[in-house]
Amino acid sequence: MTNEKTSLSDRVEAVKPSGMNGQQMLVKFNLFIVFIVVCVAASLLTPEFLSAQNLSNLLQQSSLVGIVAIGMTVVILVAGIDLSVGSVAAFGGMLVAILIGAGISWPLALLLSVLAGAFLGGLMGGLSALLALPSFMVTLAGLTSVRGLTYLTTDGTPTTSTIPDALNYLGAGKLLGIPVVGLIFIAVTLVVGLLLRQTTVGEYVYAVGSNIEAARLSGLPVRAIQTTAFVVSGALAALSGALLTARLTIGQPTASQGLELDAIAAVVLGGTSLFGGKGGVVGTFIAVLLLSVLRNLFNLMGLSSFFQMLVTGLILIAALILNHLLEQRGSARA
Amino acid sequence: MSVPRLEMRGIRKTFPGTIANDGAELSVAPGEVHCLLGENGAGKSTLMKILAGAYQPDEGQIWIDGEQVEVANPVAGIHAGISVIYQELDLIPAMTVAQNLFLGHAATSRGIVQRGRRNRDAREIIDRVGGGFAPTDVVGELSVADQQLTAIGKAITSDARIIVMDEPSATLTEHELPAVFALVRRLASEGTSIVYISHRLDEVMEIGDRATVLRDGKTVAVVDVADVTTEDLVTAMIGHRPTSDHRDIKSFESLEPVLELRHVRMPGLIDVSGILVRPGEIVGLAGLGGAGRTTLLSAIFGAESAGTEMLLHGRRYNPQRPGAAVRAGIGLVPEDRKGQGLLRELSVVRNAALAALPLRGLRPHARAKQLTREPLKSLAVRYANVDQPVGQLSGGNQQKVVLAKWLTRGVQLLLLDEPTRGIDIGAKQELFNQIHKLASSGVAVVMASSELPELTKNADTIWVMHEGKNVARFDPAIESEEDIARVVVTGRVENR
Repeated sequence: MTNEKTSLSDRVEAVKPSGMNGQQMLVKFNLFIVFIVVCVAASLLTPEFLSAQNLSNLLQQSSLVGIVAIGMTVVILVAGIDLSVGSVAAFGGMLVAILIGAGISWPLALLLSVLAGAFLGGLMGGLSALLALPSFMVTLAGLTSVRGLTYLTTDGTPTTSTIPDALNYLGAGKLLGIPVVGLIFIAVTLVVGLLLRQTTVGEYVYAVGSNIEAARLSGLPVRAIQTTAFVVSGALAALSGALLTARLTIGQPTASQGLELDAIAAVVLGGTSLFGGKGGVVGTFIAVLLLSVLRNLFNLMGLSSFFQMLVTGLILIAALILNHLLEQRGSARA
Repeated sequence: MSVPRLEMRGIRKTFPGTIANDGAELSVAPGEVHCLLGENGAGKSTLMKILAGAYQPDEGQIWIDGEQVEVANPVAGIHAGISVIYQELDLIPAMTVAQNLFLGHAATSRGIVQRGRRNRDAREIIDRVGGGFAPTDVVGELSVADQQLTAIGKAITSDARIIVMDEPSATLTEHELPAVFALVRRLASEGTSIVYISHRLDEVMEIGDRATVLRDGKTVAVVDVADVTTEDLVTAMIGHRPTSDHRDIKSFESLEPVLELRHVRMPGLIDVSGILVRPGEIVGLAGLGGAGRTTLLSAIFGAESAGTEMLLHGRRYNPQRPGAAVRAGIGLVPEDRKGQGLLRELSVVRNAALAALPLRGLRPHARAKQLTREPLKSLAVRYANVDQPVGQLSGGNQQKVVLAKWLTRGVQLLLLDEPTRGIDIGAKQELFNQIHKLASSGVAVVMASSELPELTKNADTIWVMHEGKNVARFDPAIESEEDIARVVVTGRVENR
């Protein structure tokens, strides 16, 4: 018996090295390659693109969506979706300003606001996990009710409290010419990336997203993992909202509408599967930057925002088709 | 012989990492039931997918009724008269039998489906396949056997000249099989050619006219079934004669039981009492489909909550979720490997380490590799590399990965639900060797199987379940398979 088997596995090994690697690399890095190409094209088309001022603006603009998209990545990895992030961000942004207005020191206010976001995320995620409700519905309800809650805090008006300079620095300042929010975005990406790749909890996230029933029957705390993903998403959404308030120096209850769609677009463009279990934060990070670079490029070229919306959508579709094709060719196997 | 209905010549097909077919040949006469045999990974599925048009061969030709055909895609396959009935029947559970039968070619009048006519036509098909259900029955509510008949009916509605059946018996219980066999014979006598794939050789002997054996992607034998024994077929499949296993008769009476099922009850489903499982003992659960074996295993594993009185190592045990069972040292190899056992897109190592990683641990991948090295080696799991997605392995190797998951974790009680489903003979024997090895190291094993010979050969004790109750206990070393089989079917214990 062993003879036949060895010979088969030998052949398996023998065929392996050729043919597959180049394509796999292309699948894995295609987004990065597209990103580089777009950047090169942008710098050729508009000389200002590479200016320090422009790059810094670019990072500033992408970071707030980016922080939310990182949290969204975790939720999508467990095969969920979080439609409430825009509302939670607005709530976080209001809360930080209101707490400061009530005389609480800004670091504590920021912390409480992030915790409130985590709580809201946990509430929705926990509900969805415990009652096996689709997260789409639960967070859709969250989108509406949290937005309502946000309006109720000030009856729909912007906050009037003064944002301390230190907090404003977090939202609008620069460190060595780099926007602080950009650094926060990078830090968040690194921390969540490490969490996903280098801890058992991260491994469980992939397992739950990949096959929830198999994960459950392997004894994994499936509901806790699902809930955790929404806690992360809620906390990061509130953080993003608080940083927006920090930059604008007022809390706006109408802020961050439609943020969930931008975040989901970035996650999907970044190669994370909407069915869960596949993808990661690096793809999301690059996708966020790519989307901003495109917007930035159109601005520099003086194209109207209507045109921008159209082209951004088309590019999203093109990227998804490309990904699909590459993946299909890369993994044809019974 | 006249012109063959189907000929596949010199088929070769490679995938990144594997050669699936190389030198595969298949010739089927009109009205013949032709069995296709081979171990998992021998290339049967690939060959059939090429026939169906789901894959394109790298080399080779397909001839139907003396004409070379190009099966460019599954639709072309259907037009060429080829119909493949896969193990996972491609029926739509929420739709009615009639809707399924005429999916894609319903009788319409200006785009409006003529329900009455469709139901009448469906009635005709159902009668032809010998089904006892109505056109308006919802497919998801039919028994597996009736679903199987519906799938065959679907093949008939597309005027198939060649029907491929991929392990139809895998999901059927023994008393459901005759209806399907009768239909196969009737179709063959009407001139339809049947390609019948199965791992169960007794079925092959019963239903087949001829058989083609594949090994390592190549056709190694074409035989008249009447001229050969099952032994010959096994030899052709695995390339050597299987060694028959002799087990020592062991005594467990003196050992403290690992698990004691005093009373496990789920109203309407199971009502089990008085089962003991001792260290090193393999307890078999026999019974018909729906006898409650899976439910009992789920209850022990905490996957279904039951009113229970169970003792584990002499202490009260009432798990509310699988996590609790796992922490108590229990592992489950579930019936549905694809849906419940594995994370198919994740790697071999990540699957094998899943239950063993400490929650507060760091660097799970390095840890996983380290933890699973021994278990994967001792189970002789075959893979191209450890980062290969587990879904790419053959059935036998996938099952070994599920086993490796519990070996890595280290369990005192292993629950196996139909562990050999969809696994070929060579791998089956290997799997049982591993299970015996585990048992002899002191692990208690509870194994549910609908194949009685598997239990009589491998279990130390057999409990027969019938309609949710454990009705009789047998010692396979003393009692005959026939006696046990009678209780499995009737649920009644005569004087013995």
